[in-house]
Amino acid sequence: MKGARQATVVGVGYSSVHREIGVDTRPLVVDACLGALHDAGLTTSQIDAVFEYPGAGSQIAVNVQRLLGIPDLRAFGDLGGSGPSGLAAAMAAVAAVESGVCDVALVFRSVNREWGQQSGRTEVPPAGNAAQFTLPYGDFGGIIPSIGMKKYRRLAELGGSEEDYGHITLNARQWSAMYERGVLTQPLTMDDYLSSRFIAEPLRLLDCDYPVTGACAAIITTAERARDLAGAAVTVDSVAFGTGSRPDWTFSDDFVFGGTIGCAQHLWATSSVTPAEVDVAELYDGFTHITISWVEALGLCGIGEFGDWVDGGKRIGPGGALPLNTNGGQLASGRLHGLSFLTEAVQQLRGDCGPRQVPGARVAVVANAHGPQCGAMVLTRT
Amino acid sequence: MSKPVPIPDAASAFFWEGAARGELLVQMCADCESFQYPPTVVCEKCQSRDVRPVRVSGRGTLYALTVMHQAFLPIFAEDLPFTIALVDLDDAPGARLLTNIVDAAPAGLAAGDPLEVVFEPRGDYALPQFRPARSQPERGGAE
Repeated sequence: MKGARQATVVGVGYSSVHREIGVDTRPLVVDACLGALHDAGLTTSQIDAVFEYPGAGSQIAVNVQRLLGIPDLRAFGDLGGSGPSGLAAAMAAVAAVESGVCDVALVFRSVNREWGQQSGRTEVPPAGNAAQFTLPYGDFGGIIPSIGMKKYRRLAELGGSEEDYGHITLNARQWSAMYERGVLTQPLTMDDYLSSRFIAEPLRLLDCDYPVTGACAAIITTAERARDLAGAAVTVDSVAFGTGSRPDWTFSDDFVFGGTIGCAQHLWATSSVTPAEVDVAELYDGFTHITISWVEALGLCGIGEFGDWVDGGKRIGPGGALPLNTNGGQLASGRLHGLSFLTEAVQQLRGDCGPRQVPGARVAVVANAHGPQCGAMVLTRT
Repeated sequence: MSKPVPIPDAASAFFWEGAARGELLVQMCADCESFQYPPTVVCEKCQSRDVRPVRVSGRGTLYALTVMHQAFLPIFAEDLPFTIALVDLDDAPGARLLTNIVDAAPAGLAAGDPLEVVFEPRGDYALPQFRPARSQPERGGAE
């Protein structure tokens, strides 16, 4: 037991979400952070740490400190590039709060649509360093070719069908239709999925998330501080990183699952609950392959059993035994890049989700990224 | 504009220079005899600095492929659709190359299929690419 310093999430906040390019993210970051503070019943002067995952469309932690007028920080960090997407900021905040480095940490992720744009580049970047082994072969466009090969290998090695992947996408649209911040809210059929164009065959357009501009934020503090606050606190039950051996998006020992399996083992080893007790799962869906990997790696079903387990989508949809990505994920509510899986889990455990609420949810599992940069959390509400 | 030419570093120069001569070489650890790819500065198994280029047959096995239908760099648009693949080298266990599959319709390929290396000139070097195996592996002592 971590006692009084046990990390808890006491507030979440969102900006508006935009589909156009050229949007200044600074006001959006402020909106999301002030929203999280308001939700927690805190003021800016009570924040003593800021952590974020940087990238195009983001602001470094101290710039947001300035925008929010926070007088000083005891801890801060910009945890980008090689970490578990937006969840990385929250994972750092949990460690900092529980260690006593700080007491009240603000975490945020702001991202713009341009960051998600892989096409439209005209200059050829230099094929040096790691790129010398990929770029000359036309392997470009972020991790898209690698994800295409992971889907191919999974189907070859573990069986299953393309419909297994389609259920992740169809499910996202079911949930986004019930979410006030949903972006792509029209329902899809399996025919729609199976006729969507190939990007990196067998990877289809509808296997990929949807780039947006926006921000979300959360406040993490100790259980002791949380008791003085008005809002309901959600406990961070366990946290784990994962890399797998010889970590890389392409040249790794476990190409299909990356670091997800090891990450899940670390996560459950330090958790007070088991996979069977999970009420709701918020699992990264930048690509559908990533979500399926996490379902299996976390032991929500056996390795290679996703297709049977998902039961035509019924298991993960509204009213299903294990609701998945209940805000539509990034596939249908836009790529806020990772942290929105945490904020949605917190809202579910607080019972704040209105029409999409999972009744009686007490245990949530959250996971981010894949390959060499995995991260996951178990959240509980007693 | 031309297609990207590999920029070798001290650890990888042997690989690209070998490819330019029509030879496929990978790193083998002189101490623990592990193979590895991409080439790097130590053996990733035993941390020995004594990692040496060894020539391999160029026969491999298809691990995974993807058919690119969108060129994220316009310079590759003329090649669409083209195939990117991961290939395990038969005589260098542990060495898996990212490459292209050429001279084959990808729909006719499956994971586990035998492949053989060919070399595509690129700038001062050449890219090892793979096609379906045509020649039978040589069998020692057959004659």
